[in-house]
Formats: sequence, C-alpha cells, structure tokens
Amino acid sequence: MIELDKVSFAYADQGPSVQDVSFRLEKGEFAAILGANGAGKTTTVRLMDGLLKPTSGRVLIGGMDTAASSVSERAAKVGFLFQNPDRQICKNTVREEILFGLRTVRGQDGEEALQARTDEILKEFSFSGEEEPFSLSRGQRQRVALASILAVEPEILILDEPTTGLDYLECCQIMDRIRRMNEEQQVTVVMVCHDMEVVLDYAHRALVMAGGRLLADGAVPEIFRDTDLMEKASILPPQMIGLGLRLGAGFENADSPEKMAETVLALRGKGAAQ
Amino acid sequence: MNNLFQYVPGNSLIHRMNPVTKIFLTIIICVAAFVTDRLLFLVGLLAVDLLIGIVAGVANRTWNIFRGLLKIAVFLFLLQVLLTRKGTPVFWIITDQGLLTAGKVVLRLVVVCMPLALVLAVTRITDLTNAMVQVLHVPYQYAFTLSTAIRFIPQFLEEMSGIMEAQTARGVAFDKARGLKKFSMILPLCAPLLISSVRRTDQTAVAAEVRGFRLRTRESGYKKYPFTAVDLGAVLFSLALLAGAILL
Amino acid sequence: MIQIQDFSFTYKNGENPALQEISLTVPDGGFLGIIGPAGAGKTTLARAIAGIIPHHYPGDFYGSVTVNGLDTVDSKIVDLSRLVGMVFQDVESQIISPLVEDELLYGLENFGVPREEIPGRMEEALAKVGVSDLRERSIASLSGGQRQKVAIASIIALKPKILVLDEPTGELDPRSSRQIFSLLKELNEEQGITVILIEQKIMLLCEFARQLAVLSKGRIIRQGETRDVLSHADELQALGVNCPRVTTLSRMLSEKTRAEQPVCINLDEAENMVRRLIP
Repeated sequence: MIELDKVSFAYADQGPSVQDVSFRLEKGEFAAILGANGAGKTTTVRLMDGLLKPTSGRVLIGGMDTAASSVSERAAKVGFLFQNPDRQICKNTVREEILFGLRTVRGQDGEEALQARTDEILKEFSFSGEEEPFSLSRGQRQRVALASILAVEPEILILDEPTTGLDYLECCQIMDRIRRMNEEQQVTVVMVCHDMEVVLDYAHRALVMAGGRLLADGAVPEIFRDTDLMEKASILPPQMIGLGLRLGAGFENADSPEKMAETVLALRGKGAAQ
Repeated sequence: MNNLFQYVPGNSLIHRMNPVTKIFLTIIICVAAFVTDRLLFLVGLLAVDLLIGIVAGVANRTWNIFRGLLKIAVFLFLLQVLLTRKGTPVFWIITDQGLLTAGKVVLRLVVVCMPLALVLAVTRITDLTNAMVQVLHVPYQYAFTLSTAIRFIPQFLEEMSGIMEAQTARGVAFDKARGLKKFSMILPLCAPLLISSVRRTDQTAVAAEVRGFRLRTRESGYKKYPFTAVDLGAVLFSLALLAGAILL
Repeated sequence: MIQIQDFSFTYKNGENPALQEISLTVPDGGFLGIIGPAGAGKTTLARAIAGIIPHHYPGDFYGSVTVNGLDTVDSKIVDLSRLVGMVFQDVESQIISPLVEDELLYGLENFGVPREEIPGRMEEALAKVGVSDLRERSIASLSGGQRQKVAIASIIALKPKILVLDEPTGELDPRSSRQIFSLLKELNEEQGITVILIEQKIMLLCEFARQLAVLSKGRIIRQGETRDVLSHADELQALGVNCPRVTTLSRMLSEKTRAEQPVCINLDEAENMVRRLIP
C-alpha cells in the first residue's frame, strides 16, 4: 500500500531530518510512528503523502512513485489530518466545509451524490451542518476536519498528532471513529502521536524513530516492553506496561488495567491455593 | 521569501554600527538616489549597496535580495521603455530617452530597496526599536508596533504555507498552479488566516501587558547604544554621498 | 495566597457565564492542578488569577479574586504581573520578540531588574528549561516544542511568586513534558513558588500536583488533595475527565478483592499495592 524505500530527506541548509528509512505498510494496518521531538516523525508522514519529496530513495503509494504524481491528485486516496484543524477549515459552515472537500476530489460524482454524502457524514458526526466552525471548540473543529476527510472515503489516512490540545472525550471520539474506519473499511492508518496510552489503545504496529533513523519496527505492546529501545528513543512506555515491567514474570500480557487486575487476582488465587 | 526578512547574526563593522546610524545611512542613500539625475551616479550607489552587503558578511543575502528586486526591475523597465514616446527612436518604438529614463527609474528602485532590506539582515529588530526609543526618543508604543509587525512576518508566512499544505493534501491543486492562478486560489483561504491573526494580535497584547509593557520607559533597555568612531565614519561617508548627489 | 470567593464571570458579548460561583484557596507554596473538559472555563480562571480578567477582558464580574492580599479588580495589572507569571496556551502569541535572547530580556527590562543581575537571570532560566544552546537563535527557526520552552524560560527569569501555566506542554514529547513538570516541582519546593497548572496530561498532573480542582461547565465540581479528588474517579469520568491508569487499576482491584485499596497516583504506589496483594 505504502512503501518507503531507503528514503532520506534534508531541509534546505539543514542537516538530514530523515535518513535511510525503509518500511512497508499493507492495506488495513494501523501503525504509529513514535519518537522524541525532532526525531523526524512529522517529516516522515509528510514524505508519505508526497508533501515533501525525498532527497534520495523512493516513496510508493499503491505502487506509484510520489515524485511522479501530485499531492492534490492523490487526495481522493490519501487523507491527511493535521495537528491544527484551523489550517484546513476554510468555509463558514460545517456543511460547506464538508462539501468543499467533496467537490474538490469527487466533483465527477455529481452534486446530488455529494449532497447526499454530506448529509450522511453530518448525521454520523452529529453535526447539524449549520454550525460555524470557528465558534466551535478546538476538539470540535478537529472533528469537522476529520469529517470532511472521511467524507471522501480515502484508502489511506495519515494523522499528525491528531489529539494534541483535545480533552479526553474529544480524543476518544476522534480515535474511535478512526478505529472504525480501519476495522470496517480496511483503511490503512498511520499516525504520529505523543500520547503512548493512545498508541497502546489504538495502534497495532509501531515504528520507532530517533535522530531521523528508523530504530525499530514491530507490534505495539512488544515494542513498549523493549526497555533499551525505549531509552534510546526517549519514550516512556504506557503506565500498565511500565508497571508490568517492574513486576516482572507473569505480567507480560497485562497491558490494560482490566488485564492487570485479572492477572493480580489469578496470581493471588494461586498464592492462596499453595 | 521567509528568509529575506530574517536577521543574520554576525560581528562585522556594519553589525556593530549603531542602529540609528544604519537608519541614517539608509535614508541618505534613498535621498541621494532621488536627488541625483546621473545614471552613472546611480550605478555608483548600487555598488555602495552591494559593498555594504559584502562588508557585512551577508553576500548571499544581498545577492538574493538583488535577484528578487531584479525581477520587478525588468518588468518596470520594459513597461517604462514601451510607454516613453519622447526622444529619438533607437529600435522599433523604443527611444534613447525611454531607455535612459527607464534605466534611472529601475536603478533608483533597486538602490532604495536594497538598504531597507539589508538593514533587517544586519540589525536585530529589538536593537532597531530600542535604539529608536533611546536615541531618537520615538514613543515606545510605535516602536513596539513596528517590532511586532516585523516579528509576525515569518509567522504569517509559516501559517500561510501551513494552510496551503493542508489544502493541497485535501485536493486543492496548489502544487500545480502558478502565478495569478495560485494567487486566486489563496484568496478564499485568507479568512482563516485573518481570524487567527487577529486572535493572536490580541493575545500578544495581553502577553506584553503582563510582562510590564506599561512600565517600559526610554531607559528600560538593557543594551545601550553609544556612538563610536565607526558611526562617525559612516555619517561622514553618507554626507559625502549626499554632497556628491547634489554637486555631480 | 490566592483567595477566590463566589467568583462568577461573563465575558462582554458572552451569552453564558464562563465561570460560576467559584470559591478556591491556594496557599503560598501550593501546587494546584486544574483539569476539566474543553470549554469548562479553565483558561478564564487562569486569566482571573493573573488579573487579565477584568483588566484586559471586560465583562460582568461578581465576587472577589485576591492575590497575596491584592484585590485584582482594584489593583493595577502591572502590580499583579510582578507577582504572577503567566505562560499562555498559544505559545505563538506569547512570544513577542524575534530572537530568543530578546524574548528573555523583554520582561526583565520592563520590570526594572538591575543591569548586573540580568545576564545571570537569563542564563539560569535558559539552563533550567534546558535550552541554553538556543540563546542566539531566532524564534522563527525553532520547532514548536523549543518555542514552548523559550516561553517558559522567559517567565521563569522574572522570578514570579506565583506561576500560572495554561497547558504549557502541548507541543512537547512525553520526556520533555516530564522535564518541565519536574522543573515546576523544583521551583515549587525549593523556592516556594506557588504553581497553578492547567493540563490535559492527567498522568503527569496527578503525579506532580498536590491539589486538584476539577472544572466542568464553569463550575468547580471537586477540589482538594489530588488523592481525594481521584477517589471519585467514576464521577470524573462521567464528566469526561480521564484518570491515570494506575488509579483505574486501584479502583478495579478494590472492587474485585472486595477490600478497599489505596488510591494510587503513580507507578511506585501501584507496584507496592500489587506486591502487597500477591503473597
């Protein structure tokens, strides 16, 4: 679906931001890119959508080199949710905003189909359509941005710190919706996220970066259990994994409070029986 | 674009000059360019501009500014040449008078704009405004407005490119448009940009206020801006330029 | 000491009150965390403590807000700003100067800090936040996280008695966020600076703040010692406020073991709890 082949990138008059990164994402994967500030995460997702062109190496989306086609042509296929929704929102009502995105990439469907699709999306996100985006809270504006991206039904969704500045409920609303897209429509999701609890709850695969290089690529709970790797990448693992690591053998699978409580009870029962 | 307004750190003769002297020199170059009527003198002034840039160790920036101005200059030159009817025709509808006037107009433009842009490259905005307040007794409120405006230029451009990036990603063909087409596509996006700018300006005012904006006096600046031998030299040099412009 | 009594505030042109009947006391040297969903009035409360409300944002002001004995309505904003340092949520609009060094100088100059003290204060503040190497840089060349650190340094350099921070780690990765929280703790414990911190990163907040206030729809729903507030986790979650997972774990274990377990707020406590439960 998306393939990075020995990709490097350097901004003008600066050292390399991304160096020799290679990985491949298959359809329906949910991956998170992890790393400290300045590790090259944001540059990597921008390269994945062709917003930046690699200085060397190739980025392939569905087999097509991003250097050979334009970002705007790909928009129907690749949706990009930015950290700041205000850069995306440009219309006076939520309805217009969603229609604008649809008209831009699916104009050939005809106005009637687009209106119908807009109604569908508005209903699903519980917007009336008449709200003014700029009088909504930041979290609600992020939902507007997500709604207008999902309206065009992309095959790939790229998220750059989508939950920054959002409260817990808003964060869950956005992430749950993205998970549904991933599970029901097999949309490939890649996200940059600083909240390791969110990564643990939603992503299946983790790509760990440091200093512009890909340090590790693996399944989510296992990656967090690699203490050396976490140290190298300046990542603090999620709380339950951190607790499990401290407690040692027998707690390998206790990565949520529920599982942790069950494990404790089971071990307690065993202890009592002995 | 973003870089054209940014300060380039350095310790050259020009960097060390009093900001007020730099403003004085800039103004004198501008006045001289308008007073003189000789093409050769204008060329000389241009050489002075470039020399200042080289002495300041910002040759790259100087070249970029020059190249940027050259584009506008070529356009203005052609316009002027084609519109001037006076004088003896040299080629087609182009006259000798037209060539000369056009040459002077664009040279003046370049000569005047270069030092204005160069001042920002070799002077910290804060030094510029602080010196204006301390030495020239400009009210602090005006100086603050100026420095904030300049501080916001890169931020505005950053925001603009962020918006264009976000819109490209959702299918607006910014990456394929050029020139006027691109401009007409940007226009509708200015609404969010304006809203965020206004909101920010207000918040910046608050941020300044809670850090003692109102307590600031002429004496508040940590750095002082005394005049030195370098400044005296620069002033004498500018006066000589001005005299040359009037007499030659 | 900060004393807020029966404070209600409606912004001019605002339809509904942003805050209603707030009563809150923060002792000298306290470390208060403020949590709550979006639109709960957290930023309004921060502005009221810094005196920005009512001096910059007019509106209907009821009750009283007193900071170290100064009534914010009767005092000048400059007198209040000598006491209260504020770090704003939007770092872009907080930074006034084009260069890092000048940003730190700005407040120091205005408040008339003696010349000989200025270089030391600047170095100290930059070092504490861990950005000494950025001193000569222009703001435009910094990343969001670096800008956030510079903004915090520029306030710390002023040595306020009270620090109010509105989501100061939004752009920072977990490690840098923890570094900032540790710095606040150090300032709080070693210099007795009162810290008031609005934050969505609940795990960090609970680990560092001694008191918590939970806001929802303009009202304080709960306030008190962090542990006491977290013992009402169900209520908080119903309001849309998350709890640290260790707290959720201690609640679950209380239910499942049918014995009251202590409310855990950090990993050490959770580890002790589990080790005690497993013989």
